[in-house]
Parts: sequence; structure tokens; C-alpha cells
Amino acid sequence: MNILEIADLGVTFSTDTGDVPAVREVSLHVRPGETLALVGESGSGKSTVALATMGLLPGNARASGRVTVDGTDVVGAPEAALARLRGRTASMVFQEPAAALDPLTRVGSQIAEVVRNHRKVSRSEAARAAVDLLRRVGIPEPERRASAFPFQLSGGQRQRVVIAMAIANSPALLVADEPTTALDVTVQAEILDLLRRLAADSGTGVLLVTHNMGVVADFADRVAVMLRGEIVETGSVEDVLLRPRHEYTRSLLSAVPRLRLSGTDAPATQEPPVVRLSDVSVRFGRVRALDGVSFDVRPGDTVGLVGESGSGKSTAARVALGLVAPAAGSVSLFGTDLGRARGRARRALLSGVGVVLQDPVASLDARMSVAECVAEPLRVHRRGMASAERRARVAEVLELVRLPKELANRGPRELSGGQRQRVSLARALVLRPRLLVADEPTSALDVSVQRTVLEVIAELQRELGFACLLVSHDLAVVQEFARRVVVLRDGRIEEQGPTMATLLHPETEYTRRLIAAVPVPDPVLQRQRRENRAALGTGAGA
Amino acid sequence: MSGRVETAGRWGLVAQFPAPLGARFARNKLAVAGVSVVGLFLLFCFIGPLLYSTDQTHTDLTQVNLPPSGSHWLGTDAVGHDQLGRLMYGGQVSLLVGLTAGVLATVIGTLWGAVAGYAGGWVDAVMMRVVDAGIAIPALFILLVVSAITSPGTLGLIVILGLVSWLVPSRLVRAETLTLKNRDYVLTLRATGGTHGRAIRRHILPNSVSTIVVAATFQIADAILLVAYVSYLGLGVQPPKTDWGGMLSAGLTAAYSGRWWLIVPPGLAIILVVCAFNAIGDGLRDAFDVKGRG
Amino acid sequence: MDTLLYLGRRLLQALAVIVIVTIVVFCLLHALPGGPARGILGPQATAQQIAAFNHEQGLDRPLPVQYVYYLRELAQGDLGTSYTLNEAVSRLIEQRLPKTLVLTLLSALAGLLLAVPLGMWQAVRRNRPADYVITTLSFVAYSTPVYFLGLILVLVFTQTLRWFPSQAPQGDTLAQVFADPAALVLPVVTGAASMVAVFSRYMRAATLENLSEDYVRTARAGGAGQYAVLFRHVFRNSLTPVVAMLGYYVPVLFGGALVVEQLFNYPGMGLLFWSAAQSSDYPVLLGCVLVISVATVVGTLLADVVQRVVDPRVKEGRV
Repeated sequence: MNILEIADLGVTFSTDTGDVPAVREVSLHVRPGETLALVGESGSGKSTVALATMGLLPGNARASGRVTVDGTDVVGAPEAALARLRGRTASMVFQEPAAALDPLTRVGSQIAEVVRNHRKVSRSEAARAAVDLLRRVGIPEPERRASAFPFQLSGGQRQRVVIAMAIANSPALLVADEPTTALDVTVQAEILDLLRRLAADSGTGVLLVTHNMGVVADFADRVAVMLRGEIVETGSVEDVLLRPRHEYTRSLLSAVPRLRLSGTDAPATQEPPVVRLSDVSVRFGRVRALDGVSFDVRPGDTVGLVGESGSGKSTAARVALGLVAPAAGSVSLFGTDLGRARGRARRALLSGVGVVLQDPVASLDARMSVAECVAEPLRVHRRGMASAERRARVAEVLELVRLPKELANRGPRELSGGQRQRVSLARALVLRPRLLVADEPTSALDVSVQRTVLEVIAELQRELGFACLLVSHDLAVVQEFARRVVVLRDGRIEEQGPTMATLLHPETEYTRRLIAAVPVPDPVLQRQRRENRAALGTGAGA
Repeated sequence: MSGRVETAGRWGLVAQFPAPLGARFARNKLAVAGVSVVGLFLLFCFIGPLLYSTDQTHTDLTQVNLPPSGSHWLGTDAVGHDQLGRLMYGGQVSLLVGLTAGVLATVIGTLWGAVAGYAGGWVDAVMMRVVDAGIAIPALFILLVVSAITSPGTLGLIVILGLVSWLVPSRLVRAETLTLKNRDYVLTLRATGGTHGRAIRRHILPNSVSTIVVAATFQIADAILLVAYVSYLGLGVQPPKTDWGGMLSAGLTAAYSGRWWLIVPPGLAIILVVCAFNAIGDGLRDAFDVKGRG
Repeated sequence: MDTLLYLGRRLLQALAVIVIVTIVVFCLLHALPGGPARGILGPQATAQQIAAFNHEQGLDRPLPVQYVYYLRELAQGDLGTSYTLNEAVSRLIEQRLPKTLVLTLLSALAGLLLAVPLGMWQAVRRNRPADYVITTLSFVAYSTPVYFLGLILVLVFTQTLRWFPSQAPQGDTLAQVFADPAALVLPVVTGAASMVAVFSRYMRAATLENLSEDYVRTARAGGAGQYAVLFRHVFRNSLTPVVAMLGYYVPVLFGGALVVEQLFNYPGMGLLFWSAAQSSDYPVLLGCVLVISVATVVGTLLADVVQRVVDPRVKEGRV
């Protein structure tokens, strides 16, 4: 019997502005011991399906159809029956480990609570069980860690705690909603290994919700692809990923940045650098964000700054922009020492820089129209420009980033994430800068949109010839678009050099592990990589 | 249980953007009622005397202490003033002082908070210690002391009230400024050579408007209440001028002997108007989706 | 270690605030018309008498020097002498403060005991009729001048129903205060009403915010029922912002005490202040202001410390 059976599930949300059908006639099943990946971009409804499985839909949602978990009906079931189901027959792991745990309760107690929800055991027995579970999920020193508060643990450790809570009562079904999206890539690999091992050990069925094709290739047996609330393709993981039939699946797969395993570097220019950091150190209070960092970006080149969270890559970008003053070392922009430039000279220097930041919502002032946003640098640096000329320039640059003219008078709220990032890009390019600093410009976008934006940046770079400092956690993106790469770790440069050479033949252990952890959307290949990674050995339980 | 809509993922396109401001405000019935109440009182106090004129300066000892009747709808007080007329007359002072003092407090607080929030560092620290000190000193006490030293007229009262009440808006605006200062679009502006002035003028202040308006509404409510306290304690406007608080003070002893019409109308008036402004502020805050006073 | 650093920083901040308060009070002291001289010698005093008095009291020295003397006096506990009552202000306050504290603490306690569960309940029953009713009542209670509420209460419960006396306990010692609990009821209720209104709103808002947090979903996914989640997790997390607000509510409580004591003739510091205001007894007035302000700063500091103990997360240095 299938552990999870969904037949014709429909979910509609009633909102301020009417009813929104998020899920339409979705049918799928998960067999015991099997992992089904539910893939889609934002708005596809995949998370809604996951929540519906557990009966955890928000109050303004109406569900229709049938969802059966291990023989029990979920849709329309009374809350008491659902509470008996959750944590015992079916468990869920969520996306944001940072917020998933009660900040004021010790982690051991939170795990023990799940145990006591379903088993009549004493407090001390439950506490022992909690320690046991912590050990099973790979947390070192579980007895000590059980009395820690969530804020004392790292993101990966917190996710392990959530997983411990999920497996506490040996559920038959595990629902994992983007369990590793918020984690660093090496931690992601470890958590996926853990989940796979636990599922194999106990024959648990897994419904894995994700947008990451690499994760799918790494973990799933079968795949279902969702688009706008409907399933468009189902099949085994090899079939769907290697021989996709539906047009959407194909476009999705082609949009994913893939880590190439062979390639050569283009030769580098020898012209003087556009921006150079020399031995820069930055401190925030007691934390050393950057320590002795030196690199430069040459004209027309793209340099990729990669690293995990806390590596200092964003800080390095901000130092290059003059937003953060280094405690030691120097920054030179277009040959001039940025630390010493002041007033008008400094502003003139900065006018040669364009900036694109990560969050599409916060990048644009919602009170200004698109045209006004893009025109702002013109107002700052070209005061004397006539408004007609300004309008013409704005229209010109909007066309460059492939945005329709009509959007010029709209407000940012009416645009999609990808469109907003392109407006941000237009604003960055309106003064024809010599340097573009892009800090995770596409991380907050859907995969298919990411490709468009990155391609636009690359194309414009060829056309306009600006240098680019690209900060990203995504090695595949950096490999595709950057000519040189700088790998940061805990504020220090781990290694740097031409992209292909550095990534394909890394010199340091850390870089090797980093690359090995990136999942490729090819199940056959990914299995091989997994075995290689196991041979490398993992880092300390992160 | 949460009521949060999960239509799109964390970053995806907002499938439908929230209803326009006016519609959101209109859904809060209490807030809409508040607007009507304020409107009615403004009419009552400022237009009312034109339709129902009474003598509020001279005493008429033949009409002393009369209960409500056909000729005096709300009765008369110990010196013969018609109470309905006095309610209108007193209301003019209460509303005028409350509105102006509330706005003044918000203006001062906004300037202080915006400068502190934007400047940061030790400037911020010092400015906020001053605010902490101001909050530590109970407003009522300082008001009494100052009123005891100088007997203020209406204008003086407005200024003093404003000077005592600007502390709360300053903290709210400072918090808002801190948040906005670190928004990506401000960072982008500064990283590409924009000046601080431009950041404040074009981005921070316009985006703070909702916080400021909400703060102003609550300040007006507080100011009207505060005026009532000060006048009740005898140190507000002096007779024959009066305001609602003064009417309460004057009618105090009479109330104990059963002359309820001297205190119930002004008391109710204060409650209704302050309540109305609080409800409006609450509705505005929800409509703007601003964080502020609970 | 972090906690010690935090405490140290908060202590310094508190001291800075107290210094500023003393400066404000000192300035007010010297803003008095004619200065203290006229107050003591009376309006008939001649210019020479005033000059002699000023010289004797050291009031003709430059202001900063006087400020230093003032601080020295404060350090010795000398708040000056009352003009009208001919007693040391510090003694007067010493006598009256405990009674005000009793009233204030009782009001605060009563208010909180009612506000916290009320706010939580409102959050759970959000937008249902009961929530609207209580919200409206909160607005009304919050918008009612304390003395008006007290007045109505007296009219209803004392004059009409004759359940409670119209005056609070009159005695000088605390024992006498507690000997007549019935007389405490109306003053405490009056003082607590506004507090219930404000804090139930805070609790409601904090609970609502916490109910939509991710950890609630995690707990429910583990099989916890709705009420279990509420009491095990949401309650404590909602309490933190409310505790933070308590510190800032202390001056409001004292302001309320002023009015309540005046209305119910309760011989505490509020009534002392009130009488002093009537007779322009500036040393008493300013002594009270100083004491209450210091009490507020201490109260805020305590609230911050309690909050940090209850919430173990490292608090970022908030300026």
C-alpha cells in the first residue's frame, strides 16, 4: 500500500483580492521506502501540497480531493485526529532552521516534547530518547548539546534538531519542504546524506519538495514536476532528468546552472586593475569579517567571489564600494585610493560604479516609478541634463536590459522579481560604469529567471566592456560567468586564480570539498560524485 | 491558524498586491467610526456656537445650578453658564490645543529621531540618552511644575505640551530611520556617489511618512488627554475660558451632590474624542502596515 | 561575560540618564521667578533682603559651581527643605514614598494579572465578536482620564451602592494602609484600568505575531495541539516584549498615582506633590520629580535585566 496517496487535490486560498487556486487536481503517490521529489518554481504550489499532506494549511485555505497518509484521510479530518497523525505517522521538516525552533526552549526539551506527544513516557525517559535522537542525527556531544538553546547552534545543527524531532516516533512518511535551501552547500550535502541514510534505515517514504534539480538528482527515486498548481510530468528520476518530455521540464533543466567538469580558461588581460583590495582587514566589533584579503578586478573581466555564509564575500564587495571602511589595508578604485577620496572627488569616482544587490524587493524604492529609479544616478551625477535627454537615456538602457518600454511608468510593486532585478541592472548601467558590483544578483530569483538575468549581464558586459565583481554562493553560476574566482573562507582567501583551473584542479582541501558538495542535475553522474565525496571525508558535524 | 497566505514562495512574484490604502482603512469599522466622531465633534464645537449661541463670559446668577431642561439642554453650572454652550466652547480649546500640540510634538520628535537614527554612533547615543531622560520624568509632574512657575495662555500650553510629548515619536522615527538607512536602495545610492542629503530627502523621509502619520494621530489623542489632566488639576486655561478638563474640575464638588450634568457631558466628550483618535491611529497603522504603539 | 558587559553598559547608560535628569531639575530650580529667595521670604521681600539671602545660600555663584554643590547635596541625600511644611524634603518623601509604591505595585500587579491572559485570549479569538468588544473596551479605558473613571467609580460604588468608602486608607504607616483593604479597592481598580487596557493590547499584538512564527508550525507538525502550543511556546515568547514595555510604563504609573491619590485623598507622594503644586513649594516639587525619575530609570534597568534573563539570546547593543 502506498504510504501517501493524493487524488485530485485542490487548494484555494481566499485573500483580500479574491480566491487564488494554488493547487489544481494534483494526484501522486509515495511508496514505503521511496523518495518522491516534487519540483517547481515559486508559485507552483509544491509547498502547499506538502502542507496539505500534514493538514497544516493556513486558516484561509480550502482543500478538496483526497489525501491519505498510511490509510488515514487528511482532508476534512478533525484537528484531534490530525494531531495524532503529525509527529507519529507523518513528520515534516521545514525550510528555515533559523526560525523553526522555539528560541526560548532548550533543544532537548523540544525533541522530548514530540516524543511525549505520542508516547506515554516519563520526562526523564523522553529526555534520554532526545539525546539518543541527537546522536542519530549526527550532533557531536549530544548530552551537552541537549541543553543548548537554538541560537547557540549553527544552521546545519538546527536543521539536524528539526530532523531529530521529525524521526522521533519513526514516522512512515517524511515530508521535507526545501530542507536544505537555506543552508550552505557543504552542509546541504551532509543533511541530504543524513536524510537518505535515515530513510533507508527505517524504510520511510519521503516527499521531498525542492526547486533544486541537483538535490533531486542526489536524493530522489521518482520526480513530479509542478507548474502553476498542476503536475506536468512524473517519472523516475533518470527519465525526467535525462529524458524530459514536457516542454516546461526541458526549459527548467536547461536553465539550471550546471557545474562543468572540464573546460579551459580564457587568457587574462594585463591592463591596470579597475578595483584592487590590498591586504584588507575588516572588523565588526569582535568579529573579524575580513583578514588580509587581496585581489583585483581587471577591465572587462568578471571576478567571482565565492564562499559560504560568513566567509566575508559580501563584506569584500562592500569594501570595494566604499560602504565599509577597512581597519587595515587599502582599496583603490580606478587607480585612486578610495580611503582618502572625499567629497566631490569621491562622488565622481563612485559614479563609475554600478551596483546590483540581492533582494529584488528592497533594491527599488517602491515610492518611485521604474523610470525614476533608473534615472536617479543621472540626477545625482548629471545635474545639468535636460529631462528630455534623461528620458531618452532611461528608455535606451531599459531596452538594453530587455524590458518593454511600457514598464517605465509602472511602480516596482507591479513587477516580478526578475523584472525588478533588471530594473536594478538598468539603474546600475545608466551612467555606463566601468565596474559593476553584483552581490548575489539572482539568488532570490527562480531558476528560469536567473538564467535570463545572468545572460543579460554577460551580454551587456561584452557590449559595454565593464568589469564585473560577482559575489555568489553558487559555484556553477560563478564557473559559467566569471573568468577568475576568489574562494573565501572565514574572512580569508582560501585560493584564487583562473576559474577553470581553480575549480577543476583545486589546491586546497576546502575548495575540493566545496566543489564535491555541489549537486549536479544528472542522477547517474551525481551518484558517482557522491561516492567520490564520501571518499574525501566530510567536515566536522556542521 | 496564522492566516498568512502562502501563494508564492519566499521571493516569487506577488500574485496579487494588497488592496489600496483607502479600502484597507475602510475595513476597520472602529477606525471609520472614529473619523465620523472626530468630524462630528469638530462641527459641534466650531460651528455649533453659530447655531446655538450662549454667553460664556458673563455670569447669570438667576440661572444657577439648573438641571437639564427645555431652555438649557444640559443644565447650568454654579455661575449660570449654559452647559451645552460651555461644552462647545470648552471643546474648541481642548481640540485646538490637542491637535496643535500633537502635531508639534510629532514634528519635533521626527526631526530629533531622524537625525539620531541617520547619524548613528555617539551622536545617536547622546540624543537617545536625552530622550530616555525625558521619558523617565513623568510628563504630568513636569507640566505641573512648569505651569506653577508660569501661568501659560493657550499658546504657552501648546508649546509646553509639545515639548513634553515629543519623546515617543522620536523613538519611533529613529527606529524607522535606522531600518530605512540600511535598505538596499539607500545603500545602492550611497555606493554610487549619492549624498546623505539626497538619501534623507528622497528616500528616508517619504518612506517614513506612514510611521509619522500614525505617530501624529496617537500624539493628538495623548495631547487631548493631557490637556484634560492639566486643566483638571487647575493649571490649564484660566476662567472664563475653559476646556473640558476644566469643566470637570469645576463640576467636581457639585457632582458629589448629585449634579451629574456638570461632569458627565465633558467626561464623555473627552472619552469619545480620544477614543476616536486612537481608533483612527490603530486603523491607519494596520492599513499602512506599520509597527508602532500596540 | 557577555552578560556582564551588557549590564555594565546598561548601568552606564542609566547613570548618564540620571545625570541629565539632575541637570533638567537643576535648571528648573533656577528658572523659578525670583528664585527660591522670593519663595521663602515672601512677595514683600525687598531687593536687599533677596540679595542677602542669595549670598548666604550661595545663590550668586556661577551656575556650574552651583550645580556641583547641588550634586554634592544630592549625594548626601539632601533635597532641600519644604517652604510650607518646614521639613526636610527627603524626610517627607521617605515618609510618603512607600505608600505610593504600595498603591502603584498593587495596581500594576492587578493590571498585569488581568491584561496578560486577556490579551492572549483576544489573540486566539482574533476578529471574533469577543475580540472586538474587548478591543473597544480597551480603547475606552485607555482614553478615559483616570480621574473621570475614579469619579464614576466613586459615584457608583460609594454614593449609590455604598460598597466601598470614598477615601483610601488614611494612616501613616503601611500597617495602617493594609488594615483597611476595602478602602484600597477603588483606588487600585482606578489605577489598574488604564494599565489593563494598554498591556492587553501589547499582549494581543505580541501573541498574534508569535502565532504566525515558524516554530509554531514545527510544534504542530510534531503533534502538539493548539492550546499546548499556546501555553508551552507562544506564551513565553510573547511575554518578552511586554516585559520590555513595563520599564517605560513606570512614569505613567506614577502619573496615574498622582491623580488617584488626589482623588481618593491617599497620603502618598502624589498627594504631597499635588499640595506642593498648589502652594508653589518648589523644593518638594523638584525633589519628587527627581526621586520619581530615578525610580523610573531603575525600573527600566530592572526590566531590561529581567528580559535578558528570561530571553537568553545575546542582545545586540541597542543604543
